[in-house]
This record gives sequence, C-alpha cells and structure tokens, in this order.
Amino acid sequence: MKTISHDELKEIVKSSPMLSASASRLLQLTSNPDHDLMDVVNLVKTDAKLTARVLKLVNSAAFGLINEITSIDRAISYLGERIIVSIALGDCVGKLFEKELAGYEAAGGDLWKHDLRTAIAAREVVVQGEMEISPDLAFTAGLLHDIGKALISDYLKDSAPEAIELITSHDSADYLDAEEKLIGFDHTRAGFELAKAWQLPKELAEAILYHHTPAEASEAFRPLVYAVHLGDNIAMMGGFGTGSDSMRYRLDSHYTDYISLTPNTLASIMLTVDSEFDKLEQSIASTGEDKG
Amino acid sequence: MGQVILGVGDYGASNNPTDDVKTFALGSCVSIILLDPKTKTVGMAHVALPDSSINKAKAAEKPGYFADTAIPALLAEMTKYGCHKKGKGMVVKLCGGANVMDTNDTFQIGKRNALAIKKILWAYGMGAVSEDLGKNFSRTVTISVGAGQVTLSSPGRPNWQL
Repeated sequence: MKTISHDELKEIVKSSPMLSASASRLLQLTSNPDHDLMDVVNLVKTDAKLTARVLKLVNSAAFGLINEITSIDRAISYLGERIIVSIALGDCVGKLFEKELAGYEAAGGDLWKHDLRTAIAAREVVVQGEMEISPDLAFTAGLLHDIGKALISDYLKDSAPEAIELITSHDSADYLDAEEKLIGFDHTRAGFELAKAWQLPKELAEAILYHHTPAEASEAFRPLVYAVHLGDNIAMMGGFGTGSDSMRYRLDSHYTDYISLTPNTLASIMLTVDSEFDKLEQSIASTGEDKG
Repeated sequence: MGQVILGVGDYGASNNPTDDVKTFALGSCVSIILLDPKTKTVGMAHVALPDSSINKAKAAEKPGYFADTAIPALLAEMTKYGCHKKGKGMVVKLCGGANVMDTNDTFQIGKRNALAIKKILWAYGMGAVSEDLGKNFSRTVTISVGAGQVTLSSPGRPNWQL
C-alpha cells in the first residue's frame, strides 16, 4: 500500500474545498466565549446567500411554523447558532462531508450522518454531563472532527480487511494506528492539516487532532475534546459509524475528570441523539439540494 | 423478493418465504431474532437500550427500542402469524451488542442490552441457540424467511452465518 508523504498531504489539502469567508468568520466568532447571538446575526446579514438559506430553512416544512418568519434576526434566534454553522459549512465544504469513503467501505453521506450524530451527542454530553463549556462549540467541533477521513479515504482503498487484521492480531492498538501503518498518516493528522489551511480556531483544530487521544489536548481545550471523544463513540455505538473503522477505537476513561456521566445519563443522551438527528437531518437536507 | 427493513427501535415479522428481514449497523444495539419452525415465521426487534423506565413515553411510541418492552411487543406481533403468544417452540438467536474498548463500565451498553434481553427471555423459558454478541465491530443482519438463514455482515469482513 502506498504511503502518503507530508508534501503529498499538503497537495491533497491544497486541492480540497476551502471555507467561504463567512463560514470562516462564523467559526472564529462562535469559538469566542464572549460572543452573543446578535454577533451571529450581524455576520450572517453580510452574506446574502447564507441569509436566504437560513430563511428558507426556518420556513421549511420541517419546522412546521404557522406564520412565515421574514426577519433574519428572528430566524437565527429560532434555529440557534449550531444550525447556522451547519448550513454555512454545508454550503462551502459539503462536498467533503458527502464524499463516499471508499477506503472505509462507507457510502456517500455516511460521513455527514456520523458527523451530525457526533455533533448532537457532543452537545448533549456537555448539557447532560454538566460541563461548563459551550454546548454549541461542542456541536461544531463534532461536525468537523472526522473531516480528515475525506482526505485520506481514497488512499486507503481496499485496505479495510488488512486494517482489521492488524487490529485483530494486536499489531495495531486501534484503527488510527492501522491507518498510520498502512499509509503513513491517520485521519486525525490529515484533518489537522486541513484545519491549519482553513485557519480554524485552535480549539476546533485540537478537537480534530486529538478526538481519539483527548488527554493529549492542551489543558484549556481538554474538556471540549473529551466531549467530542465521547460524542464520536456514542455516534458509533448508535450504529452511525463511517464503515470499517466503526467502534475500532479506544475510549479514554479519564473523561470522568471532566464529565459526570451515569449509565442512565448516557442512555438519555443516546435517546436524545436519535430524536434530534431525525429532526435535524430532515430539516438541513430540505434546504441543501444545491449543496456543493 | 421483498425486504422488511427494521430501523433502531423497530420490530417486525414476516412469513413470506421470498422476503428478507433486515436491520443495518447494530453498534451497541442488539437484534433479537425469533424463528418459528411451525408457522415458518421470522420476527426481529432492533433493541437500543436495556430498560424502558428511563423514558416511558418513548417506550409507548416505540416499544422495540427497549429490551423489556421489545420482547412482549415482538411476540404479540408474531401471534398475527399464528405463532404461540409466549414463544413456545421458537428458535432464538441474538447478535450485536458491540462495546467500545473501555475500562469504565458506563459505556458497556452493548453488554447491558444483551444481559437484559437474556433475563427477559429466561422469564419466558426461552434461550438463544446461537449468538454473536459483543466485540468491537458493527453488524448488519439479513434473515431469509424461506430458508430461515441468518447472515451477518460488517464492512471489511467476509459475511458469516449465525
């Protein structure tokens, strides 16, 4: 199997879709703990396409509003910032999220579904696990955490049986290690390269790089990275992985230093993820027909 | 050939020999498979959580979601096909219930699901003749009603029979 050199990875990143100016500013803004919803409104107003998309979504059948919402302020406060971030990302880099992950034997759309489930789960972990970080930031980090898979998947083509054999024979500790052995790069490092090119805020870049090894994140961002780590595992447990790697990772039990979670809370989070996912997937898809 | 596709928390049955009963990507969820040799009926439930006491409203809306409500619901469904209401004579198979690699018990939902299901089956005097539970990979289940054959698949692995 051909390994990817660092220079080659840089070329792959270069040829990947880039964030739009407003998506990039939106991620910067919403990562700042001092922002408020009016800042989001003012930013969205500068982007006519995004404004139209948000209004179309809030008035779509999925939300079943009786009276049409025509003001962008009301639309954003109704939908919440995490949905605005999802739309903005889908608009400019939706192609990556929708990509068929041949290297993982996963169909087109599976990555987006997994990311959306992870996002919802990470947010619920923050809320129901009584964490003191922004639930919406955990959502955004959850959406982005696996983006590196879209970059390296083609290079992993036909490698799934070999990756699984490496894990079963204990030559690899998990799928991350198997990726590294097979092509010289794992999906977290590939995603981190893209995060640098996208100039993502540090906490989002670290969530991408350390979502399987949260103890390695900077202390300040560790709670967020643990939330994404659990969100990712919850998505896989719920049957929404990205193919051959699903559930073939380690869970870092030190999450208990940051997150208070009983078996009942976890069950309640899984229930919420199932119902929120159906609602969100349907609503975001209903306005995404010209995605790409 | 028809397909009866069951999502998370769904249950269903078929006695049409050309049908497949199918459920996708069991992670920590467990699939309960009931095969009735007498009526040649196949029933399946896709169980997500062990205990309905956590959310009674959800259990009323989707009894297949929880181990304790799924089994009575599935048995009741199968009586429509002439099966015994307490599952007499049925062959039971179980699969799914995968776990992430964790030293902390909280995340062992797959294990708790499997245990809860077995306890309830015991109460009916039923036990699984074959099972493929636990480990750390997801499973898709396809049952051909005519042959009563249960096939499992997982990305990157050859298919296998249960």
